[in-house]
Amino acid sequence: MWADLDLLGFGPDGWGQVLLHAAVMSLLVSLAAFAFGIVLGTLVAWARTGRSRLLRSLAGLYTAVMRGVPDILVIYLFYFGGRQLVTAVGTALGFAGPFDISGFLAGMLAIGLISAAYQAEVLRGAYQAVPSGTIEAGRVVGMTRFTLFRRVIVPQAMVTAIPGLGNQWQSVVKESALVSVTGMVEIMRQVTVAAGSTQEHFLFYAAGAVLYLIITTISGQVFRIIEHRGLRGQLAGER
Amino acid sequence: MQPAISVKNLRKRFGDNEVLRGIDMAAQDGEVITLIGASGSGKSTLLRSIPFLEIPDSGSITVGDDHLAPTGGHLSRREEVVARRMRGHLGFVFQGFNLWPHRTVLENVIEAPIHVQKRPRAECIEEAVALLDKVGLSEKRDAWPAHLSGGQQQRVAIARALAQRPRAILFDEPTSALDPELVGEVLKVIRALAEDGRTMVIVTHEMGFAREVSSRTIFLNQGIIEEEGTPDQVFGNPVSDRCRAFVSGHFDRNR
Repeated sequence: MWADLDLLGFGPDGWGQVLLHAAVMSLLVSLAAFAFGIVLGTLVAWARTGRSRLLRSLAGLYTAVMRGVPDILVIYLFYFGGRQLVTAVGTALGFAGPFDISGFLAGMLAIGLISAAYQAEVLRGAYQAVPSGTIEAGRVVGMTRFTLFRRVIVPQAMVTAIPGLGNQWQSVVKESALVSVTGMVEIMRQVTVAAGSTQEHFLFYAAGAVLYLIITTISGQVFRIIEHRGLRGQLAGER
Repeated sequence: MQPAISVKNLRKRFGDNEVLRGIDMAAQDGEVITLIGASGSGKSTLLRSIPFLEIPDSGSITVGDDHLAPTGGHLSRREEVVARRMRGHLGFVFQGFNLWPHRTVLENVIEAPIHVQKRPRAECIEEAVALLDKVGLSEKRDAWPAHLSGGQQQRVAIARALAQRPRAILFDEPTSALDPELVGEVLKVIRALAEDGRTMVIVTHEMGFAREVSSRTIFLNQGIIEEEGTPDQVFGNPVSDRCRAFVSGHFDRNR
């Protein structure tokens, strides 16, 4: 009893079109969350390696909280908690409800915040792996702290960080499935709807798995290419 | 004529260990000063203090027209600006080369001229190529540091220091990290710079080289200058017993 594969096609009975659209949404929310995560993660890593004791402990606390709380709880907190907050503020200002907030925005913020904690650890490790002699060589030619950061530290740290950031991206793509709880239509949500509607559970969940695999495999290759280009010249004996 | 580098009453302590206990030293333009002494005598700390890689606890440093007398072992924001300007007038060659591994040989040499001194790129490249030629590495301009031998990396580091058009160059044990057969090529380059009349301060354990290349030799012992003079005097006829013991020990070992 094989399912009708036309269900995955682009014909009148096919779910192909909506699945493709859902995959694009998954990709977009992942990209937005990852980008937000890397910006925040850089700030957290900077705070953790900085001189201020207060910033160091705040950043450490942030990392500990984000790594110690279930991801889905953070999403609920942002989506339902956010909606409650918006409703309270809106009502207080005299607007009529119902109030809603974007599942995309809440999901992106929540996943980005979680990812930032992990990315900060990757970036901190990469920063600390930059040979101190190369930093000293930059200082001694009279570089400002910013020039030193831009011309000496970042190019070396990124090479070390890329494999770790690639893993983080992989996690973000998979965690984007959790955003389905907000009702945002991405891969997870769409295959659940399709499976329920057609009663072809196996077919649609398998199709969802394939879509995620396509995204993670292709992006994994992209990270490998970037890593290889960044490494040029840094390994003795390589041509 | 005001000296290229002048150090006055420099003191530095690491924890309980007072590494520099009041050092006075000056390098006139064209002088080659070698700093010798046992490990722990403070010679590297003294050298590293001149561009403020170590920040002295007290005392003052003058490079050209710039002068700093930091207190408390750190630099304020304003002092940091002056320190950067002073570093720009000094070349520094490290024991461990410290080339930037993500940049090619040529890129290492043009980095500071372009991105710190903001000189025109074409001019910097032209000058860098000439400097690489001078250290005998013009054919390696597009190589990565990791593909070079230690001696070649150190020669690139010397070209990188020269590219800053420094008033003086500081060498921190430039051959100590090298395999013995590679020491000669680096010393040859430094010798050529001495013949060009470059102002240099060199921390070294190569006593034969120090004796031959210096215009003045300073022997440091436990953070103070114990003996100072022409190389013939310091190596041939030292006044201090400690200097005599140190020098004769070294020449005996090398024999």
